[in-house]
Amino acid sequence: MLKTTLRSGVAVLAVLAAAPMALSQDLSLGLRAGPDSIDPHWSTLGSQAEALRHVFDTLVDVDETLQLMPGLAVSWTAIDDTTWEFKMREGVRFHDGTDFDAEDVKFSIERIPVVTGPMPMTLYTKYVDSVEVVDPTTLRIKTKGMAPSLPNDFTRLFVVPSETGMDARNEEFNSGAKAIGTGPYTFISWVPKGDLVLKRFDGYWGGAPAWENVTRKEIPDDAARVAALKSGQVDMINYVPATDYLSMKNDSSLDTFVSDSVYILNIAPSVKDVEPQPIKVNGVEVDGNPLQDLRVRKALDLAINRDVLVNVVLEGLGTPANQLMPAGFFGFSADLPAAPYDIEQAKALLTEAGYPDGFEIDFTCTNNRVPGDAVVCEALAQMWSRLGLKVNAQALNGTVYFPAAAREEFTMTMSAWGTLTGEAAYTYGALVHTKDPEKGFGNFNRSGYSNAEFDRVFGEGSQTLDPEARRKLYEQASVIAMEDRALIPTVVLQSVWASKAGMLNLTPRIDQETRAYAITPK
Amino acid sequence: MFGYLVGRLSQAVVVVFVMSVIVFVGVYAIGNPIDVMIDPGATAEIRENLIRQYGLDQPLWRQYFTFVGNVFQGDLGRSMVYNISVTSLVFSRLPATLELVLVSVTIAAVIGIPAGLYAGYRPNSIAAKLIMALSVLGFSVPTFWIGMLLIMAFAVELGWLPSGGRGEVGNFLWFQTSLATTNGWSHVILPAINLSLFKLGLLIRLTRAGMVEAMGAEYVRFARAQGLPDRQIVFSHILRNISIPVVTVFGLELGSTLAFAVVTETVFNWPGIGKLIIDSILQLDRPVMVSYLVMVVILFVIINLTVDLIYARLDPRVRLKGGS
Repeated sequence: MLKTTLRSGVAVLAVLAAAPMALSQDLSLGLRAGPDSIDPHWSTLGSQAEALRHVFDTLVDVDETLQLMPGLAVSWTAIDDTTWEFKMREGVRFHDGTDFDAEDVKFSIERIPVVTGPMPMTLYTKYVDSVEVVDPTTLRIKTKGMAPSLPNDFTRLFVVPSETGMDARNEEFNSGAKAIGTGPYTFISWVPKGDLVLKRFDGYWGGAPAWENVTRKEIPDDAARVAALKSGQVDMINYVPATDYLSMKNDSSLDTFVSDSVYILNIAPSVKDVEPQPIKVNGVEVDGNPLQDLRVRKALDLAINRDVLVNVVLEGLGTPANQLMPAGFFGFSADLPAAPYDIEQAKALLTEAGYPDGFEIDFTCTNNRVPGDAVVCEALAQMWSRLGLKVNAQALNGTVYFPAAAREEFTMTMSAWGTLTGEAAYTYGALVHTKDPEKGFGNFNRSGYSNAEFDRVFGEGSQTLDPEARRKLYEQASVIAMEDRALIPTVVLQSVWASKAGMLNLTPRIDQETRAYAITPK
Repeated sequence: MFGYLVGRLSQAVVVVFVMSVIVFVGVYAIGNPIDVMIDPGATAEIRENLIRQYGLDQPLWRQYFTFVGNVFQGDLGRSMVYNISVTSLVFSRLPATLELVLVSVTIAAVIGIPAGLYAGYRPNSIAAKLIMALSVLGFSVPTFWIGMLLIMAFAVELGWLPSGGRGEVGNFLWFQTSLATTNGWSHVILPAINLSLFKLGLLIRLTRAGMVEAMGAEYVRFARAQGLPDRQIVFSHILRNISIPVVTVFGLELGSTLAFAVVTETVFNWPGIGKLIIDSILQLDRPVMVSYLVMVVILFVIINLTVDLIYARLDPRVRLKGGS
């Protein structure tokens, strides 16, 4: 008797304890990075866009693999070479109850150059010449020249009400006074590097999201983020560190979610006539730059064992890369074979190029930009030493690396590049195209690489409005760049989320965004 | 006394000036912050415009004088990352750090000084040896590692305390502080213990050394011969005499904890200024770096001045003379 009472008592207690979990309307996320401001036009930072997406909508949205889908605009068409027409979604309301229309989009585009900061959003409006509101649901954009990628650029065009006024700055947004969007959540509060608190917007056009209250906690330290999940302070974390991944995968109290990222670790060999840091054989500087020889670049490529990089160095959190974008992106070529590992052929090529005993070369990488950059850097140096090279590998903090890289002080580098827009123009225009400040190409081409054939095919693509024809040209450009080893891609990095077991559903996104409204209770 | 203050203050001005030059040149040498921040897709034109907009195309000396000129008008500049004024940024984070430091130095002083006194009073007892062994651990084991252990034990395994972050903020008099709520205390206690360990070890060793030395001093033997009780000898005579080194070290530690509690703040995700400065360095947020370091110099100058004034209270032989 007593026993059964006790037992049922315990059962009741257990139900009581579990009940708030089941009925919970609250979601708490532990994230590596948060916004720098609540002003959606302040900065291009990825973590900024990720956070502000909850409050503001973009004109065009992207799906899990970064391909375009309707946002505040339901459709878009190029009506002539320099005019795009966007049709607005009807029946959308801002959090303060005012209606959304094309005027708000015009205002938002015009506000960007006035308020944007050192990570300028003018990047996404650089093709815009003028904006014309035809009627409340129709917007026409005149572009400077042909701009096939305008809808891609507008995936980061956040829309604020035209009543915001040109004088509103970061302070007014941070305080919440101007933090009015059309997004699934309303803004409650935020402190720099602290918590972003959000509340469900019941009038959201896409249907009200599952969670009533969402707290996005910024916890940059990997160990602290893991501890916050394990101690139950947060329900889900992003960027699970590689070192904890295996143990968390095997922990029955946790669920893990793995996805490819947009980031690829690329090696950039300088092909200038005089390499910035001398390459030496037996301590003597060689004549000319060996890296200009395609055979040498091929040898470097063939000596990389990508399976080892993925399975040993990154503990499984990566996939071998054979081009500068992940599979499925606009311009990814399926014709390119997987990058082989063949040390004998690599040695033969090096001998043929006149370096049978290898050479001594400096190799510089970042060590804190993406998970795994420093360890991959060391592993590459070891792989090349098997080829007979003497590699002076150096992994630097991004604060030191990027300014020096911009001054083109390195002979060979490795850093991560993310094709953030999901299409080739972004990556090829900045990394592979011949440096041309006038046209805005090759801004991140620090190796001096220049290939007329590539430039021609890419240029043709960037002047082709028909998406299918453009895709073909970009795929061709991918093949040209890779056969010439303009850069040597190594691995696509992967990213991991973890949550308490059996609680949440999440479809991981390739852009690594953690969208609270896309997470649902189980 | 007045002359002394004037002398010290003018010294402070020179220190702050020299420091600002060093910091400015050092930060300038790292490179152009725009290259760290800018999005890879930006055109060269956008980049040039930004560099001009932030005055980064100007020669170093002109940038420096613009900065100094603004400081004299009470403007420490705006953060390049947050676009809010550096002053309001720092002061939004300062209360969190003050709370943490206050609790941790209190723990260190309340436990460390009595423990050190006892260890020096009965140096051969088992308890004294235990205290000394613990004090060695206190400053030889790395802070981040102990922090991890505390989190593993009290947050993850036992689930008694939260693993990090600052708790609810309540009102205490006219301050807003998390020390006014139970939830706030549950958040502050682990990082405060973590932060106090090093200081605890240091205070124990300093106090003990002073105590051992004083126990053999003539004034103690004389007091004993007079038949004064040990309690009175230790607390009114010895403690006062050994306070000077303790106060010096305590002051310096207070300053460095306030300015650089980075490790503990990172491990416990405590939203203090230590974390702010590290983030600013990583993003090359120049205005924050320069202004913050200048503020730290001023802080140290104030602490040192206070310590000197306390010396004069503690030891009547110390005379504060103008200018020296």
